[in-house]
Amino acid sequence: MWRPSGTFDETYRQDMAIVRTPLRWALVILALGLFFLTPVFGSYYIVSFLNLLAITIIAVMGLQIVTGYCGQVSFGQAAFMAVGGYASAILTGKMGFSFWVALPVAGIITGLYGLLGGAPSMRIKGFYLAVATIAIHFVTMWLLLHLSITGRSHGLIVEPPQIGSFVFDTDERMFYIIMPVMLILTYGARNLVRTRVGRAFVAIRDNDLAAQVMGINCFYYKMLAFFISCFYAGVAGCLWGHLTMVCHPEQFTLLHALWYIGMVIVGGMGSIPGVFFGVILIRGLDELVLIASPVFAEWFPWLGSAPAAGLGMTAFGVVLAVFLIWEPRGLAHRWEVLKASLRLYPFAH
Amino acid sequence: MTDFLQLVLLGLLEGGLYALVAASIVLVYKSTHVVSLAHGQLMGFGALAFWFVLVKLHMPLLVAAVLALGFTAMMGWAIERCAMRPLIGQPLFAAFLITFAVFLMMDGIFQLILRGESASFAAFLPEGQIVLAGAPAPVTQLVSFGICLLLFLGLALLFQYTKIGLGMRATAEDHQLAQSVGISVRSIFSAIWVLSAMVAAVAGVALANVMDIYYPLPYLGIKGLTVALVGGLDSVPGALLAGLLLGILENVSAGYLDPLVGGGVKEVAAYVLLLFILLIKPYGLLGLVRIERI
Repeated sequence: MWRPSGTFDETYRQDMAIVRTPLRWALVILALGLFFLTPVFGSYYIVSFLNLLAITIIAVMGLQIVTGYCGQVSFGQAAFMAVGGYASAILTGKMGFSFWVALPVAGIITGLYGLLGGAPSMRIKGFYLAVATIAIHFVTMWLLLHLSITGRSHGLIVEPPQIGSFVFDTDERMFYIIMPVMLILTYGARNLVRTRVGRAFVAIRDNDLAAQVMGINCFYYKMLAFFISCFYAGVAGCLWGHLTMVCHPEQFTLLHALWYIGMVIVGGMGSIPGVFFGVILIRGLDELVLIASPVFAEWFPWLGSAPAAGLGMTAFGVVLAVFLIWEPRGLAHRWEVLKASLRLYPFAH
Repeated sequence: MTDFLQLVLLGLLEGGLYALVAASIVLVYKSTHVVSLAHGQLMGFGALAFWFVLVKLHMPLLVAAVLALGFTAMMGWAIERCAMRPLIGQPLFAAFLITFAVFLMMDGIFQLILRGESASFAAFLPEGQIVLAGAPAPVTQLVSFGICLLLFLGLALLFQYTKIGLGMRATAEDHQLAQSVGISVRSIFSAIWVLSAMVAAVAGVALANVMDIYYPLPYLGIKGLTVALVGGLDSVPGALLAGLLLGILENVSAGYLDPLVGGGVKEVAAYVLLLFILLIKPYGLLGLVRIERI
């Protein structure tokens, strides 16, 4: 949309480029280089928080594709993450595959499972589909709790990944697996939405009947959106399982899925940078509430001794409502506005 | 056979309460075309308000009931005024999401009030058991079921004969047409939220009477949503039918399948039913089939 001043695109390739100028390439590489040094300098707390952020970003990125771009609301993302986590736990723990095979395979298994979630979209859409995905969440959770292969209510123990004799068993070490995966998947999503497939998704979101009239196979693309979204969820769940070294239904509740939807809204529907904004804002808020809640508990004794969960929820709900009423296009929109005004800085137009 | 009858009877009694929750969601959808997630929380709020007035303030039963209904009605009005009204004219999806934000907000407050414990009231309805068609039935639930049926009757009369009820039906048909014949669509929206909040409060108190007030109570609202979808989002009789059907299905399937698969069938039966119904009849059992145009 907005071009850097003095930069002209002469070919289609240039026009579609994600990183546009040599200066930006240099900045990106520098920033990534510094970022990957975080575990060396940063504390354990920061690294584990970044890991949590990155895994959430992967899951929410998937949700952004199916909800933000394709317009199919899915409340099943947590359940799909669980499928990925359990698939990987079973592949590595019971069948003896290595983590490096299990990671993509878990993603694909989850993607195929997600087609089940997308199947109702053949006949229903909108709210109906949203509630159908809630139904799929509960059915999935019930299966995980009652099948013997998933360890019932005990969950499964997951082995940390390994290269040779080097075991990725700490947060600092997992950082070097999680972050590259996150970056690759982010690039994948960013690339996807500028292709024919991405444009088809947007057309379906904006008006699915019109899209069908234009010759887009709605059902095929909706299923594709669900497959891709669940692939992301599966990878996120797999990483989450290997990071915490355990897979348990308690890690993937409906509440998690609700939070992910909230992150998409706050970040901005239909924007890849928006995923980062949404996840960082909401997770940061959650962390802030966690830090602040003992103070609140001291000031206001009637809140009880452990108000963190309740306060966090309330704050999240308030933030969500504020965004829906006053900034429905999310933080990504603010970001675009900011970029445009900075680019033309001394001149208003 | 007695077992079966017993299960059906219990299911019927429980289903009445589901139907009530679903009815409150259907009411809102019919007039405003918004699917509300917030009604589960209104249920929880109603139950908490009732508990507070009855147990903490030691008020008599009737006063407690009136006050709880009043508080919940005010809450419903406040939700409509603060959250729903700014979004009139926005995509319906945004309105759906704001009920979701309200759900989260109230969920947090619910947790803060309960602090992980559960609250229960002393029995305020007659207790004991009577034998119906060879199956014993708890009187408390029978009374709740009776109240629920009365409410449905009341809703039917309201929509059939009163001015505001007719206004609500007209609004459900078409907002602009309703406006042009002199109905204030805004005040209808307010009224419908108040009414549905009160229905939800009754459902909440009745449910809390059976299962205590504890953290997952508001999440029964999600089950109410599935009931509403099974019955058809814009059909009050559909809500009643689907609620009763679901109650029976849950109890019967739990009674016969639980020993085979190790429990928990009751929690998923509703969702499995929903997925099947949506594939066969996408607009629910009695829902209006919409023909879409570009």
